[in-house]
Amino acid sequence: MSEQNEHNEQPENRDKSDIPGGPDRPENRLRKELPEEVPARAPGPAPEPAAQESLTGRQRLVKGLWPPRVTRAQLIVALLLFGLGFGLAVQVASNSDSDSALRGARQEDLVRILDELDSRTQRLDDEKQGLEKQRQELQSSSDQAAEARKQTAEKEKQLGILAGTVAAQGPGITMTIEDTKGTVKADMLLDAIQELRAAGAEAIQVNGVRVVAGSYFTDSGKSVAVDGNKINAPYRFKVIGKPQDLEPALNIPGGVVQTLEKEQATATVEQSDKIVVDALRQAKRPDYARSSSQ
Amino acid sequence: MIAVLGLVVGVVAGLLVRPEVPAVVEPYLPIAVVAALDAVFGGVRAMLDGIFDDKVFVVSFLSNVVVAALIVFLGDKLGVGAQLSTGVVVVLGIRIFSNAAAIRRHVFRA
Repeated sequence: MSEQNEHNEQPENRDKSDIPGGPDRPENRLRKELPEEVPARAPGPAPEPAAQESLTGRQRLVKGLWPPRVTRAQLIVALLLFGLGFGLAVQVASNSDSDSALRGARQEDLVRILDELDSRTQRLDDEKQGLEKQRQELQSSSDQAAEARKQTAEKEKQLGILAGTVAAQGPGITMTIEDTKGTVKADMLLDAIQELRAAGAEAIQVNGVRVVAGSYFTDSGKSVAVDGNKINAPYRFKVIGKPQDLEPALNIPGGVVQTLEKEQATATVEQSDKIVVDALRQAKRPDYARSSSQ
Repeated sequence: MIAVLGLVVGVVAGLLVRPEVPAVVEPYLPIAVVAALDAVFGGVRAMLDGIFDDKVFVVSFLSNVVVAALIVFLGDKLGVGAQLSTGVVVVLGIRIFSNAAAIRRHVFRA
């Protein structure tokens, strides 16, 4: 079948590359071998002659290739083939450049690529917005957590001042009770503490012992014990609060100072802008009471 | 032999020089190369058949290239450039295959 094909295509081929009086041109080296061939082939398109011809065709190829002859025809063909090879190489090189893959693309391909890029950009934009929103939420929640932590620390300090677990400083008064005769009893000191509290004292220490909600005063021989710690005269109260309230509260007629003076003790009160209450107390975990807010 | 050398030298020169392809001829270069390849295969087949003629080869080579480029140009102007250049490549491919079959028959006798 392909034998037949070959012969059918022969005229077409001749159209392209063969016709004009070639067989008679003496300067063409191929033609020199041809005259025996052409008549042999032309009349008989049978398989037998074709096979013979193909053999000679091969010989022709070898002959044309090997002894290199510089003829005008060879030079012209070489020039054209040079152009072909050049164009081929250039095209291949420019096509294999990765960045110029778009250069050879047609308009509709470019439009499609552009569309795809646009939709991809949009998708990525959406994704980015979502992630940014998420980030913002996380950040604000962590801000809230930090704020809550700060407030908790603040509250802890305030409560610590009340509970006596942290040192405190601020304006206040210092009251010194001189008791040379040993007449001052625990209840007098307790009265003084209650008077101070009623006047708005926020932090109190007596001779290095912090007075808190659960403090108690007991007589201990000639002196007094606060929460079991024995203290001796002179009793030095350091009180943080509003000095203008605290001092009158002690000095009111029939108040703490007068009562002490009746017992022949002397009490002196001094206002001060900076009182430091630095006696501390261990935080004690209650055994039974639990916070009901949780 | 000289012709084969020309082809090889052309490829090497193209790879070495790597010229920037002008934008004007850019769409036509691939088609022109395929058309030229078709002409070359036809020429080889003609040589094996013993009917090679350099003048015919030159003319067919050049006209192939010009006509292929022209068709692509026209297709681009008409807005069917992609389809038309596909068509040209298909036709030239068919011709290259049939020529290659004839050459194979000559060279390998199969």
